[in-house]
Amino acid sequence: MAMISVNHLQRDFVQRHSRTWHRHPTVVHAVRDLSFQVQAGEIFGLLGQNGAGKTTTIKTLTTLLLPTGGQATVAGLDVARDYKAIRQQINFIFGGELGLYRRLSARDNLIYFGSLYKLPPTTLVQRADTLLAQVGLSAEADHLVETFSKGMTQKLQIARGLINIPKVLFMDEPTIGLDAISVQNLHQIILQAKKSGTTIVLTTHYLPEAELLCDHLIVIDHGQEVASGTVADVIAQGQKIAPKAQIASLEEAYITLIERSAAHV
Amino acid sequence: MFNVLWGTIKIQMKNSWARPMFRFTLIASPMLNTVLIYEMFRHSGQSDAASYIILGSGLMGLWSSICFSSIGDIARDRYMGVLPFLFTSPSNYNVLIVAKTIGNTLLASLTLVVSWLTAGLLFRLTLVVPHPIVFLGALVVTIIGFVAISIPISYLMLLSRKTGLYMNVLDIPVTLLCGFVFPLNVLPQWTQPISQALVPTWSTRLLHLALQPTIDWVALRTTMTWNAGLILLYGGLTVVFWHAIQLRVRRNATLEVSE
Repeated sequence: MAMISVNHLQRDFVQRHSRTWHRHPTVVHAVRDLSFQVQAGEIFGLLGQNGAGKTTTIKTLTTLLLPTGGQATVAGLDVARDYKAIRQQINFIFGGELGLYRRLSARDNLIYFGSLYKLPPTTLVQRADTLLAQVGLSAEADHLVETFSKGMTQKLQIARGLINIPKVLFMDEPTIGLDAISVQNLHQIILQAKKSGTTIVLTTHYLPEAELLCDHLIVIDHGQEVASGTVADVIAQGQKIAPKAQIASLEEAYITLIERSAAHV
Repeated sequence: MFNVLWGTIKIQMKNSWARPMFRFTLIASPMLNTVLIYEMFRHSGQSDAASYIILGSGLMGLWSSICFSSIGDIARDRYMGVLPFLFTSPSNYNVLIVAKTIGNTLLASLTLVVSWLTAGLLFRLTLVVPHPIVFLGALVVTIIGFVAISIPISYLMLLSRKTGLYMNVLDIPVTLLCGFVFPLNVLPQWTQPISQALVPTWSTRLLHLALQPTIDWVALRTTMTWNAGLILLYGGLTVVFWHAIQLRVRRNATLEVSE
């Protein structure tokens, strides 16, 4: 059975534009009709332009948002109905510097967020220290997060995401704005998490990153699938719609697929 | 659950104490309020002026700390991006809110001590407590009452991103309507029902009754009943709000800062 199963998922937002006293609601279809499956223990990539629906899909799967239509399950549990049970088995991180208490130390952050998963205090302290060592922050364990660089914050975010040993870790643009060495370090941490059995769903704008990390991926545009499969499958799908072009990388295939999709919208 | 509750109380106290604004509200604000309220009552001839000066400035500080911390924490958690993680953690979000409010209220209770010390050191005013056990009981009920009112308000803040605005709107009116710094009979009649619906009004009254040389047990019992009734009512509202709000939050996506 797949670890994640998404069937015809839809998610709409109602935006209200204020003009004096009158508010005009507009419905935005962030995810229109999305279906895919993620197998246990793999790294699955969600690729797409800004506003394609990647983050909305992640937020729906992490039970932050209710789907408007369709169905999605995580570890066999329905995201709309069984959200409490899902929350015990997952964790997620968003790229950028948000998501931590900046006036607390790195260790305090990990211990606190870990305690929310009801881990025993002694296990929690050990786990926090192991993770801090794993992401290379042992020396800064007692420093306040507000003194951290972007790369250090991001490493701590990943440690926070792994504190409860999640079955599924959702990562929304985890390497955004990081330098090359930090990116490489984070890739090692992500691969290590995969090795220990965690299923990872990743969104990224960096296509070489997706090429390097993802076992399977889906390219989405305007909330719908454009292509999916392994990296080789997606390259083949790009080649198929542009037979005259020489498509050798995921990046080239992605651009071809998105341009063709945009031409159809 | 105890670990989560205690862990959140500790983290909340650390987080709040680390904020200069909280320290100002906790220490400087009650000192300034004590001076101002002392000047207000100086020539009033009011017999229980000392209790209004010391308790009034302490309660003002307590309410401000709760307003800007317990309620403002939703805004801060949202801007720091931790609200989605708290909301979707397996721990019950109600427990986290209760723990945060308890942490802040316990820390904010220091405002009463600061007011007491300020009034004593600057004006040689002291609060005579003829019945310490009754007063201590009244103080505990007051703290429970303040926790009880701030939880449903905090929940309402989950629905909107304009938390800061509402927080500022709540601060001064509650201070005035609940009679922290003057007797409520100086307010117009139409404000009385609003005052009576707010549990801090009854907590304040309870504290003043507990400071009387001779306890009026009938009045004390009536005031205690109002306190208990309103605390239960707010508790009920909290449950109702929570069921409605957790669904709306997932439907309307209000946990994060709008882009």
